[in-house]
Amino acid sequence: MSLLDKRIVLVTGKGGVGKTTVTAAIGAAAAAAGRRTLIAEIGGARRVHALFGAPESTYKIAPLTKNLYSLSITADEAIEDYVLQQIRVRALFQLVFRNRVMGPFIDAVPGLHDLVQLGKVFDLSRQTKRGSLEWDLLLIDAPATGHGLTMLASPLSMMELTGRGPFYENARLVHDVFMDPTRTALALVSLPEEMPVNETLDLYARLGPYQRQVQLLALNELHPEPFGALELWEQARGAFGDSVAVAEALRLTDRAVARARRQRLARERLTGLGGAPLRELPFLFRRDLREADVLGLGRRLLGDAS
Amino acid sequence: MSGPQLYICCGSGGVGKTTTSAAFALQLALSGRRVAVLTIDPARRLADSLAVGPLGNEPQTVPLERLNPAPGGQLDAMMLDMKATFDDVVRRFAPDAESRDRILQNRYYRFVSTRLAGSHEYMAMERIFALYERGHYDAVVLDTPPTRHALEFLKAPERMSNLMDEGVMHWLSLPRDSFGFRALERGSEAVVSVLKRLIGGETIEEIAEFFHVFQGMWSGFRERSVQVRALLRGPNTRFLLVTTPAPAARAEAQEFVQLLRRDGLPFGGFFVNRVLPAPTTGQALSPELLPARPEAIPEAAWAQICAGVRQATVVQARLATAEAPALAELRREAGDAPLWTLPEQDADVHSLDALAAVSALLAPAVAQLSRR
Repeated sequence: MSLLDKRIVLVTGKGGVGKTTVTAAIGAAAAAAGRRTLIAEIGGARRVHALFGAPESTYKIAPLTKNLYSLSITADEAIEDYVLQQIRVRALFQLVFRNRVMGPFIDAVPGLHDLVQLGKVFDLSRQTKRGSLEWDLLLIDAPATGHGLTMLASPLSMMELTGRGPFYENARLVHDVFMDPTRTALALVSLPEEMPVNETLDLYARLGPYQRQVQLLALNELHPEPFGALELWEQARGAFGDSVAVAEALRLTDRAVARARRQRLARERLTGLGGAPLRELPFLFRRDLREADVLGLGRRLLGDAS
Repeated sequence: MSGPQLYICCGSGGVGKTTTSAAFALQLALSGRRVAVLTIDPARRLADSLAVGPLGNEPQTVPLERLNPAPGGQLDAMMLDMKATFDDVVRRFAPDAESRDRILQNRYYRFVSTRLAGSHEYMAMERIFALYERGHYDAVVLDTPPTRHALEFLKAPERMSNLMDEGVMHWLSLPRDSFGFRALERGSEAVVSVLKRLIGGETIEEIAEFFHVFQGMWSGFRERSVQVRALLRGPNTRFLLVTTPAPAARAEAQEFVQLLRRDGLPFGGFFVNRVLPAPTTGQALSPELLPARPEAIPEAAWAQICAGVRQATVVQARLATAEAPALAELRREAGDAPLWTLPEQDADVHSLDALAAVSALLAPAVAQLSRR
């Protein structure tokens, strides 16, 4: 079963590994494969649009390219949205949630910020238009590892906190979807270095019941190997001697070989994790990725499915 | 200059912030100071770099005597244990044993103490403050969570003191059977009923009980958060921004510095990690410099190896060129503030010796920051 058959894909990983790029890439490839796709940036992040040369994302859904849309969700907007759905009276919302006394209290309800944002995605995933689902696929550019995990578990936290009642019921609906491997998949992004891989393995271990939802491992920013026969380098290096003319080239090759070895080790350690396919993305020299680059990366990530 | 120095290392994820904080703290220690380094990064990577066992709330002394030469300073490392720190705070500020136990057992408290947004950050400040007050250290180094959280981090003391606002207290901490609460029920019926509909009556009551019991502690708490805010703006505090030339990291670092400046928080400078030094030449190595093939290496492999060696400077030049504009941009942003670059490391740091090697590169930064 491919990622494209899910309703929701949540992309997470250590900070700085390229979650946004991977989210955008999956989105571009899904859209190109004809899926109406929506990317949700969480916590007020606004970075996806730039990859498509689109205006900055807001809470209002806007197109990025054909079949691909995005929105940027903040906890405040999601809370307002949620409450207005429940009570339907804006004046009452203003009264309860926008006064000096209640603001901090609402902020203090544990996990609420995370939950309402997931809840917004959940709502969007059920939204219909002319009798059919409006979105084929929702992609969440989730916060980094620790917080991403807290967010995923936020419906469960709320259920534990409340025990019963309306909040409990709503949290349970969200929980059911985000826990269901047939509907929600996780994509973990990592870099081919030791610590990011440690963290990916650690994250996987901490996912507990969500482990079976890991359906894609993306290993980002692989540099080309200087040559294939890394194991022969020490021997070959000896033949170059120690003349000043070759010193810099040898030193840089040492580094490139060391990097290539680390990359191989990273690949080895992640291969087979959770039975998910491991897809590799090349390091791109260009500082500002364009839509075509992103689509190319997406096709690598989705493999045959796209 | 009096009192210990406080260095707060900020930056987005994946820029090597934890290693840089540890190396920076180590360099301070190597220059003869007594130093504490605290990580609140939930990803727990500091122990990896410091080569000590699992870190906890209590300081663990890093075995500097293993370094050669052994320095005169001292380095203690610890990781924030949220629950333990929050419990300590409750013990310290609770008016009596009964209130203390009721709080520690309250279900809402148990959630708040580990999951409340901003409480991680607040407790880190609390911990820093305790270390600071202890007076044992010459310098305290804090490794914060990635930027988005770090912004929260700056707001945490404020947020906590808002939460402890007398208004909220009176609102929520009245005993349920009191006249006041009944009046409140009537007076703000709409508000309460909305909350009950949204969150559930029982939860609201549990939260109310928490606030009620907590009431005796507010003044201590508030006072503390005011002190913490003052500390963050104090003359001995410096915010250090760790970043890399990668576009996303650079953009977030710039945004963060602008925020610091706007809020009048003391910016100490940029640490730019993983800078690729430009090679002396961008030309491929001349084929005449290639030696004869050693017999043990097969021809095809040798051809590839030679091609790799010849291209090494070309590849490096391309990488260095690609990141040059980012560095220029950061220099502009830094203005008068210092910017230190650190070359890309060949391997992840996870031994004390390797960390010491990185920390040696930070000696100029330590010297410059100490001169202020």
